[in-house]
Amino acid sequence: MNETIEITGLNKFYGKKQALRDVSLTIGQGMFGLLGRNGAGKTTLMKTLATLLPKKDGEITICGISVEKRKEIRRIIGYLPQEFSVYPSMSVAEAMNYLGILSGLNGRERKERTQSLLNRVNLTEHSHKKVKALSGGMKRRLGIAQALLNDPRVLIVDEPTAGLDPEERVRFRNLLSEVAEDRIVLLSTHIVGDIEATCENVAILDRGRVIYNGAVEELLTAAQGKVFTKTVDRNELSGLKKELVITGMHTQGKRACVRFLSENHLPGAELCEPNMEDAYMLYLKESGADMSQENAGIGGETECCI
Amino acid sequence: MLYLKELKKVMCSFFYILFAGALAVALYSQGALYFGDSRMNRPEPGGNYGVVNREIPEMIMPAALESLWQEFCENNYKTYPIGFIKNVRLDEKKQRMVAEIIAEITGEDTEAILGKQAAFEGTGDDGYSFNIGEELQMDSDGNLIFSGARDGSEEEGKDTGEEGLTIAVRDDMEYGKFAEAMQRVDDILGGGSDYCAEHLKSYGTVEVTYEEAVQRHELAVSRDRITGGYARLFSDYAVAMVMSLLPVFPAVILCLKDRRARMAELIYTREVSAARLTVVRYFALVTAAMLPVLLLSYVSNASVWGLYSGERLDYLAPLKYDLGWIMPGVMMATAVGMFLTELTGTPIAVAVQGFWWLIDINMGFRSVESGYALFRLAPRHNAGEKSFFRTQDYVDNFQRLVANRLLFAGLSAVLIIATILIYERKRRGSLDGGSKIKRALSVLGNRKNKLEG
Repeated sequence: MNETIEITGLNKFYGKKQALRDVSLTIGQGMFGLLGRNGAGKTTLMKTLATLLPKKDGEITICGISVEKRKEIRRIIGYLPQEFSVYPSMSVAEAMNYLGILSGLNGRERKERTQSLLNRVNLTEHSHKKVKALSGGMKRRLGIAQALLNDPRVLIVDEPTAGLDPEERVRFRNLLSEVAEDRIVLLSTHIVGDIEATCENVAILDRGRVIYNGAVEELLTAAQGKVFTKTVDRNELSGLKKELVITGMHTQGKRACVRFLSENHLPGAELCEPNMEDAYMLYLKESGADMSQENAGIGGETECCI
Repeated sequence: MLYLKELKKVMCSFFYILFAGALAVALYSQGALYFGDSRMNRPEPGGNYGVVNREIPEMIMPAALESLWQEFCENNYKTYPIGFIKNVRLDEKKQRMVAEIIAEITGEDTEAILGKQAAFEGTGDDGYSFNIGEELQMDSDGNLIFSGARDGSEEEGKDTGEEGLTIAVRDDMEYGKFAEAMQRVDDILGGGSDYCAEHLKSYGTVEVTYEEAVQRHELAVSRDRITGGYARLFSDYAVAMVMSLLPVFPAVILCLKDRRARMAELIYTREVSAARLTVVRYFALVTAAMLPVLLLSYVSNASVWGLYSGERLDYLAPLKYDLGWIMPGVMMATAVGMFLTELTGTPIAVAVQGFWWLIDINMGFRSVESGYALFRLAPRHNAGEKSFFRTQDYVDNFQRLVANRLLFAGLSAVLIIATILIYERKRRGSLDGGSKIKRALSVLGNRKNKLEG
């Protein structure tokens, strides 16, 4: 059975603005991360795969089925949108039942899968609670449960951890990793830590273009020898920011420990092991992206603490 | 199962309770929930059985001419183009055209007619023997007599130097030609007057005889089996008062609910087809709107069952009228609500349906036929107390009613098909009418602010 998503030469416009530029990707089974800044085109790509947006040109097949065959695609995908929400007055179980009906499941399937999925996302004891009474994390877990109702071959998850507290985020990542054991999970995020913790492969989007497509490990390898730390006076910081791409900073009194990207070993700097954030920033820099602090912010916990 | 879920979504909401409450209050306020004090008795000899309009040329022609002459003299014609009264004042050219028609009907000279009108209008209450509000003078044949004499100046009826004028229908005037001439007057006035062919009968008012009253009663017993008349009365109030309007509210609320709950995308990516979801929601909305109607129609109808013990009643009459008379209106209002909400993403359907309903109910029903007109959103039948007697009118207009109701049911089906197409296009991301309209509104708002600034 063909368990891949094939995207070839995909373009998408909003009026005159081009949101996706010649995107080509092959996504296999397991977790695949889609990383990029806000407005990079991640949600557009996810919505196109979820049949919510038409493509301008290019080809997309999901498990061998053209995305144009919407009814068949809807049968094999699960989708968790960026802003997941359900009728607030419905209970968790009612919401699952309703969405199960819309997914074409019969009564027995709905009952069994609702029980099993709520158990899996640890919501069984909240099944009679109204959706409006759930916490943000619980709601996201309900989101995953509803997306798995039809036992999809492909799970499309758009920015699922935004706004979650660290504990919920870790729990959510683990849940996604479990789910990805026997299907394709496409995770879109601008939070680098989510990708690092869960994905084997990643694509980086910048202004609608794929600037990296490959293994997370290779991305890290490419950043080897280019990440340094240096302790400087705080009054030197503004000068450094202009010269270098700073990926992290820790201040202590009048001194600051700065983590930065550089092709050369600067005097007083120590070479260090790159992490995913460093590698991502390096790729953005090398692809010619605007690396000013305002624009390079990659959101959430990865933002520099300047 | 989906149907039950959607039905529950509609019925378990605050707005639905408001809807059902408003329906009950509206019908109660019209006395349509209890007819227990309105027994239909067999007519007794010597009673008053009301009046009826009939096409009696010898009665209609002088009465209509009398009315026309009076309005012509005052140059103030009453019309009801969309139900509301409108006083029409004609310019000189059109007054001449009316004068020519009066001349055609009476055989008098157009100039003399215009001269009389000018004299009347120039002086208002000018002392001529014909004054507004006075009993018009007639000869033994019922013709209006204008002598040209001034009160007290000379003996009435004698020549004062002006030519005398008799406003009477020519002896050789055929009713068909008269009706055609009157229709031309209606056209000159812009329509909606009592001179149009449809309303001309209103000048032929005669009292109902005892024999006719008995016949009428027997028809109500045999055809309506009594309860049918009451069910018709209920339906008339229900469609006119609320059921052609209120169902738009639950439809708009249901269609906006996905967007408000931010779960439209979640539903779009499900396997369910746009056609199935839209049609199921439509049936759920129509069912939800009809359930309180069914209940209240039986409450209303049952209030008279005790009055006719021993009679053969039609206990299914409320159901028949609910489904046949009221439901197409509900279907239409619901379809308008779903279509416009899906198209625009706004509650504009409430305003559109409200406007349509307002125009429709104010069209009134100045003739039985107009109550059953093909394009009436809310067909009307009953008028006044104990109007359930008018079974013959119902029988005579039954085909018009059926055509009307089928038309609206068909139109609602067309709108639902259009709603399915819109839903499918929105689902594919190739239509977002709502945001376009909102953008247009915000541009207008900014313009206004700039102008005010």
